[in-house]
Amino acid sequence: MPLSEEQIAKLLGMVAASEADCIDCDKCFDHLAEFAEAELTHREIPDAMKHIQVHLEQCPCCHDEFTALMTALRTLEGEVTSG
Amino acid sequence: MSPEPDRDEWVTRLRSDSDDRDAAIEELRGIILRGLSRSLNHRYGGCLQAEDVVQDALLKILDSLDRFEGRSRFTTWAMTVATRVGISELRRKHCQDVSLDSLKPEDSMKIEVEDDEEASPAQRMDRKFLTQRLKDLISSELSGKQKIAVRALLEGMPVEEIASRTGSNRNAVYKLVHDARLKLREGFEQAGIVADDVTTIFA
Ligand SMILES: [Zn+2]
Repeated sequence: MPLSEEQIAKLLGMVAASEADCIDCDKCFDHLAEFAEAELTHREIPDAMKHIQVHLEQCPCCHDEFTALMTALRTLEGEVTSG
Repeated sequence: MSPEPDRDEWVTRLRSDSDDRDAAIEELRGIILRGLSRSLNHRYGGCLQAEDVVQDALLKILDSLDRFEGRSRFTTWAMTVATRVGISELRRKHCQDVSLDSLKPEDSMKIEVEDDEEASPAQRMDRKFLTQRLKDLISSELSGKQKIAVRALLEGMPVEEIASRTGSNRNAVYKLVHDARLKLREGFEQAGIVADDVTTIFA
């Protein structure tokens, strides 16, 4: 079955957005908690963690887990600020 | 999030032999459950409840205590571990009936684009040029494994699931797909096609 037009557009979008990524999912995971805290407190992302940001932009799996993590952390944070 | 007086306190409590260990585990279970109840909701068709994974998540956290290096609050780290366990299980369940067996390297990335008769002659030419370049690049630059992984991803299968079905691991499949993207991008650039053209012609 050939790719649908929608899949071709998705592929081209992925290609256009691709950039060099020097880490893998496990390395990203090792620093995700610190990265999430920086994001939660609106701290500027330190240079040393910029590669996490790049990986999250390139990797749908890690990005998805990061979004879920942020939802969980904001839920808990909300309990503290509202309670 | 509960206030965290001492980063090491959680680890000490979770490693102790006293009743306090049970109390700490219960406390942690409550935190994980509250976080996951919200974050797993509606993802991947909502095919899983937080209660279904909280035990596995707790075990994984307890097993991985050595990997906590104190660079974040303990509960943030624990929630990161729990999220990965929860989402992995969600993905597994969501894709359990999907197989990649029908994908063959030779035709998994087949491209057949019909001419858009309503487009202007210039647009039709751009589209034809881009499509031909994409076909050529796929056939010359991508390996069989890359074709299958990219197609599976375009079918909506997460990298982690592609890895489990192809006997590989998440890092390796991510790299396979990522290298394919970079090769295609480079190939387009060599033909004078920049990122903006790539996305607008097929928008
Ligand atoms: Zn990743």
